[in-house]
Amino acid sequence: MNWFKSLFRVWRRETRLVFTDIGVLLFFFALPLAYPIVYTLIYNPEVVKKIDTVVVDNCRTADSREFVRNLGATQGFNIIGYASDMQEARRAWMEKKAYGVVEIPADFSRKIGRGEQAVCSFYSDMSLLLRYRQYLFSLTDLQMHEVSAITARRLADGGLLTSTVGGLPVNTQANFLGDVSQGFASFVMPGIVVLILQQSLLLGITMIAGTAADRRRKNKGYDPLGYEGGTLATVLGKSLCYLMIYLPLSYYILELIPWMFSLPHIGRFMDFMPLIFVMLLATSFLGQTLQVFVRERESSLLVIVFTSVVFLFLSGLTWPRYAFSPFWKMISDLVPATWGMEGFIRINSNGSTLADVSHYYMGLWALTGLYFISAVVLRHFTSKAHADCQRQGRECAEVSEI
Amino acid sequence: MVLLDIIKRELRRLTSRKIYVVMMLVVPLACSFFFLNLMHEGLPLKVPVGMVDLDHSSMSRQIARSLNASPLINIDSDFESYHEAINGVKSGEIYGFFLIPSDFQQKAIAGEKPTLSFFSNMTIFVPGSLSFKGFKTIAVTTAGGIVKTTLVSAGADENLAGSLIQPLVIRTHPLNNPWTNYSIYLCQSFIPCLLALIILLVTVFSICQEHKTGTSVEWLEEARGHMGIALLGKLLPQTVIFTSVGLTIQAVMFGFLGFPLNNHPVHMVLAMLLLVTATQGFAVFITEMLPNFRIALSIVSLTGILCFSVAGFSFPVEKMYGGIAIFSYIVPIRYYFLIYIDQALNGIPIYYSRFYYVALLLFTLLPLIGLRRLRRQCEHPVYIP
Repeated sequence: MNWFKSLFRVWRRETRLVFTDIGVLLFFFALPLAYPIVYTLIYNPEVVKKIDTVVVDNCRTADSREFVRNLGATQGFNIIGYASDMQEARRAWMEKKAYGVVEIPADFSRKIGRGEQAVCSFYSDMSLLLRYRQYLFSLTDLQMHEVSAITARRLADGGLLTSTVGGLPVNTQANFLGDVSQGFASFVMPGIVVLILQQSLLLGITMIAGTAADRRRKNKGYDPLGYEGGTLATVLGKSLCYLMIYLPLSYYILELIPWMFSLPHIGRFMDFMPLIFVMLLATSFLGQTLQVFVRERESSLLVIVFTSVVFLFLSGLTWPRYAFSPFWKMISDLVPATWGMEGFIRINSNGSTLADVSHYYMGLWALTGLYFISAVVLRHFTSKAHADCQRQGRECAEVSEI
Repeated sequence: MVLLDIIKRELRRLTSRKIYVVMMLVVPLACSFFFLNLMHEGLPLKVPVGMVDLDHSSMSRQIARSLNASPLINIDSDFESYHEAINGVKSGEIYGFFLIPSDFQQKAIAGEKPTLSFFSNMTIFVPGSLSFKGFKTIAVTTAGGIVKTTLVSAGADENLAGSLIQPLVIRTHPLNNPWTNYSIYLCQSFIPCLLALIILLVTVFSICQEHKTGTSVEWLEEARGHMGIALLGKLLPQTVIFTSVGLTIQAVMFGFLGFPLNNHPVHMVLAMLLLVTATQGFAVFITEMLPNFRIALSIVSLTGILCFSVAGFSFPVEKMYGGIAIFSYIVPIRYYFLIYIDQALNGIPIYYSRFYYVALLLFTLLPLIGLRRLRRQCEHPVYIP
């Protein structure tokens, strides 16, 4: 019974510390509330359409003009004008007026008329792959369209086989799963929101620890606001406080944000919530483990902020995990957000059930166990060291800055 | 030699705490190694995909063989039904699958137009796109192959058949990154941006630390009351360290890994130097305006992290909402990125990048605006937790 009492006291004290510290409140509330909105606003145009492009038409026939018209009708191309030669087109590209150049050879029309193969060239700026990708998709579509139009015409002209071959004998059908619109926000947001949950929680937890260390430094190793329950009760009580705050936030960030911005969201609440619950639990223990590295209120920012970018890449959202070397795969396995993101993305966008992503779910439980042990062990040793410090009433290594 | 004294003082401060060494040297270099090593293959080829063959004919096996020969995809598993394959996608085992319907061969030969379908999971962009590309190529060449056979058997000669199938070819030339190497594309923006983030954090941290511990009075006194000299002496050692780190990273990328550098290296060296000073200037300006340690740090963290998105490394700035796109022009890293594109990737004359260099220079001079405010803060240091 006493154990529960001290658990309750730790929880109460931690909650008080959180709600009286404006810095922590900022991380725990403002950050998860505002960041998803800011990010979605940045990426909300979703698809890169109508990229400015210049045409160099050396052929100047009805055929080539029609080709350019069809090009301008695709999703990716916006023809800003004709350049007289490649030099002029190049200048437009260097001045960033255009990101692509289409060159139509002088014999374009003749070759099509003769039934030979006509070859056009397209030069694409490679500074952003998203532009190149859109160009490529549009060109493939256009080529398919032109090819079937030209073939049909030729076959009709030649009186050849028109009955046997009307276009291609096999249809192909591409289907996109998950992010059907292929929008950028729809792709990146479901992953980012999970990462925001983890990172804001880590920032808050380490800042609480840093502030406590500051207080201890001021008071000769004694923390006037600290409450020492047993090791186990302290670790669990703190996590209880963080979960209490983060579970409602998860509802907002994982359910309301996709709804507000019409992002893909076909997963069921009861499928992703258990997954996120375990991820938050693992993160709260990870935060309590990382506390040893933060011995000053403000250094929490220095230590945690840059890891967001590293964790984003470790999660496999940009560079897929199957292409990781074993070493990086192992490191990424140690990050709760990796499993949280992989699992949540599949539930949210592909409509998987919790059973489908059970391996991610189990992985998270394993991490929870791991970080629980590390947090308990570290807590045990640091509270012992703090007690020693207080008894001797002097500055010692555990209170000095890093 | 007041300046020299301040520099010496700063060097003592920087070496007195481990966090400076870690943040200024270990973190940027380790993170660069991480990015470059993670993506050293350039493209995540061999996307794990599945195959659903409901036909089991010689033609469907031929397609499976062509699929397996494609460098883009790797058929990891064969499924018996669409349902099984979609479950494979849902569990994250595969990123897409290719479906050959039953009676495919029979219908193809009879001219009944069977449909080859392929499914790509776009929830993760790169493998989704690569699998799409791999599937599409095979599907189209398969279709083309069948037409050719039909035409040839109907009496057309091979060349004519070839031009009938592909009467128009659009040859794509990806300029200066013909391999569409992902590492070249991402590392050149993300690593400098990470460095900029760290510069922002360390600059604010090192100045506000003076306010917090009350040493700012002594700092100003040692500079004989000249705020400018005090600031210069404090930041110069950091500038040297950060620039060296930045140039090391550039040397690894351009020199060792051979990333495209199509102009004189000095252009990029200058850009890196200016990126460091501009970012420092930006950070000092924030500190001058918001003297509260935590708030200043929070603001630079916020901008530093948002830079990765708003500076337009992945989504083009000109396609963002106007109200958002404007923010990309108030962060120094945007200009470094533009210089990189012009000078290193595309190798065009420096004339076209002139304004970007000027912009970075202006950021460097930004602290001059609030120098007086900073002096007042130093004379009466306040620490609000």
